[in-house]
Amino acid sequence: MNERDRKSYLAAVTDRFVRGGMDRREFLRVAGKLGLGATALGMGFGNRPFMLNKAVAQEQLKPSADVMAWLKDVGKPFAGTTLKLATESTPPSNAINSQLKQYFEEATGIKVEIEVLPLEQVLQKLTLDVASSLGTYDLYYIDQSWSASFSKDVFDPREQIEANAELAMPNYNIDDFLPALVDGISKYEDRWVGVPYDIPIFIMIYRKDIYEKLGLKAPTTFEELLNNSATITKEMGPTTFGYAGQMKSGHYALECEWTSMLWGNGGSIFSADKKFVGNDERGIAALDYYTKLKATMPPGVDGWTWDGQGQAVAQGVAASMLSWGEFFPYFDDASQTKVSGLCEAVIPPQPIALRKPSECGYGEIPGVGHQGGSSLAVSRYSKSPHAAWIFMQWATCADTQALITALGGGTGPTRASVYDDPRVVANARVGAGTTRHLPVVRETIAKYMGSEPDLPQWAQISSDTIPVGLGKYFAGNYGSSKEAMDDIGAQIETIVQG
Amino acid sequence: MQQSKSARALRTLAGWVVVGIFFFPIYFWTSVAFRDAKDIFNWPPIIVDFVPTVKNFEQVFGISLGFSFGQQAAVTPGGGNFYMAPRLWDSIVVASMSTVLAITVATLAAYSLSRMHFRGRHEFVNWVLSTRMMPPVAVAIPMFFIFKQFSLLDTYIGVILIHGLMNLPLAVLLLKSFFDDIPAEIDESALLDGASRWMIFRRIVLPMAKGGIAASAVLCFIFSWTEFLFVLTLTQTGLKTVPVVSSTFVTSIGTAWGNMAALGAAAIVPAFIVILLVQRHLVRGLTMGSLKQ
Repeated sequence: MNERDRKSYLAAVTDRFVRGGMDRREFLRVAGKLGLGATALGMGFGNRPFMLNKAVAQEQLKPSADVMAWLKDVGKPFAGTTLKLATESTPPSNAINSQLKQYFEEATGIKVEIEVLPLEQVLQKLTLDVASSLGTYDLYYIDQSWSASFSKDVFDPREQIEANAELAMPNYNIDDFLPALVDGISKYEDRWVGVPYDIPIFIMIYRKDIYEKLGLKAPTTFEELLNNSATITKEMGPTTFGYAGQMKSGHYALECEWTSMLWGNGGSIFSADKKFVGNDERGIAALDYYTKLKATMPPGVDGWTWDGQGQAVAQGVAASMLSWGEFFPYFDDASQTKVSGLCEAVIPPQPIALRKPSECGYGEIPGVGHQGGSSLAVSRYSKSPHAAWIFMQWATCADTQALITALGGGTGPTRASVYDDPRVVANARVGAGTTRHLPVVRETIAKYMGSEPDLPQWAQISSDTIPVGLGKYFAGNYGSSKEAMDDIGAQIETIVQG
Repeated sequence: MQQSKSARALRTLAGWVVVGIFFFPIYFWTSVAFRDAKDIFNWPPIIVDFVPTVKNFEQVFGISLGFSFGQQAAVTPGGGNFYMAPRLWDSIVVASMSTVLAITVATLAAYSLSRMHFRGRHEFVNWVLSTRMMPPVAVAIPMFFIFKQFSLLDTYIGVILIHGLMNLPLAVLLLKSFFDDIPAEIDESALLDGASRWMIFRRIVLPMAKGGIAASAVLCFIFSWTEFLFVLTLTQTGLKTVPVVSSTFVTSIGTAWGNMAALGAAAIVPAFIVILLVQRHLVRGLTMGSLKQ
């Protein structure tokens, strides 16, 4: 049995054992055949399945020998170089920063300095770097909403592969990146703005125990989501509410949730001729739906970003949310939340209607699974672009991505192969850092993903104009949903026209 | 006038209530540092009834304290930022050195402005004041380019310089008012006795203004300790002060409140010690001039 098959088989067996589908004696027998003793598997005296998984993880969560050999070989001429990257504190960046970059540094002799900052400050730093062309950073962490703005300041990875064949990682396989993510996150017009690095995406997360207690089924449509949420709030309020939103006035979070509601009700932000159409009939229906859903949410929701929304579910205040899948592993952490093992992930509710991408402008792709995410790219102003390209390939190759997913708490992988990686599959059990939600994430990316428009002014529109306008609407500053949307539309038209 | 027992008790009680109101936010923030996430966000909020943990401190400072309050300490897998311990040191160095810089220059400048009558003195004082009116963000970006040219980005010297410059106008204005409160007649008498200006400044005026200098130094220290924008703009990974590190706990999947509270609670200690050390002078400095005729 080759190494990969052995690991796959071990992962499957481990999974069966953890789920109670196999007794310990049988498990030890199979493990023994695979050449692993009880000690290597972390088998203590007592039923501690997480200890077991942890030990398996420790045995397996090391970079592949092939990758390390390549790094050693290709990195030699660049030993002594220092690379700099400014990034948001995301699971991939944290896993690389705290646990993985040491392998890269040891193999290549290239030092990597990762500066972790809040997202808006990453943007400030990149903007300064680009404006000055100083090459302060070698690698750029580019949020999907900045792709258009930075598209000319980074190398297209396809060009890098062609131009620097001697530096290309064997089996890097650029086609392994999920095509939907390349389109949604990393592509602007015909250029690749780096490669997909991080993919938070909206999935439906709900409290299975509460739903079962009230005889409800996981919401599959927007109507069911509203009805279920209203029922829970009516039956269990004011201690538990049906749904938690991310509705903080003036914050990007509100724009994200609204966009999902808009797309799910058949609307879009822009029409094919690039006019704002959030105020058309479907747009108004979406805002009215959102208003009704808000009535089922806990008080104070208009002060919450996704953080408050997640905490509401984690503390048992709310029974469901449509939000970033990255929260799910946190919910399963019994030391952090009260809902470990009680939440389930399902695909987002089916839309009432869905506009086609061809009917929208600026590359907007309607879909309830609102996608965020970022790319990793080599700066055109870098003084060490070759060393940076080596790091970028290593950080985004399948092996490193699998390690990030397993170590970084079940973040959504951007490569197809990582979803099937035995190390990732082995982590699909209830507990901290679970990956048991990843099949839902993968299906959502493939079939239900929604992507925001790409235009240089989008950062301003999405983080200011729309959420400020919506905040005013929910605060009662407009006479009607139509009036609010018309006002937001007028502001957007002014911004777009410059 | 004799107060009745009940009136005294009432006054004491009122005093404790006032102290309690002001102390509660500090208590709550510090207590968050010792809580698990589920005790931080519990609804209704828990005030005292939680099992304390040192986990947040261990995660923030990347160390094992070697004990727990009955709970297993653990480090978040793959998450968290494990480079905070030297950053408290960064804040201490930057705040102390920039305060020394600002106070040294400001003391000399303020004494000159207080005692020497030269042309344009009032205009100069107004100009010094006006520099405080400029929003720091307007300066930060040009400073980035200047610092880059002089290789000062991401260095202690760079941040100490900028914090020193930032605090200079305030220190000059404060110290000038303290020197103004010391009668000029004392200087004149000493001059008649043959003392030089420098001698008068060093031996007579400076000791008298000790309280004012301490008060100004504390303010400079606190401003530097809490400054965010310049450190953010002018540094990368070379050094990071507490406010910038605190902001990194705002992550893509929420804010690590426990970690942030742990760093915040730890960050109170050095500032508290500085204030404690100069407390005697501080009270004197803050009340200087209040009884002048």
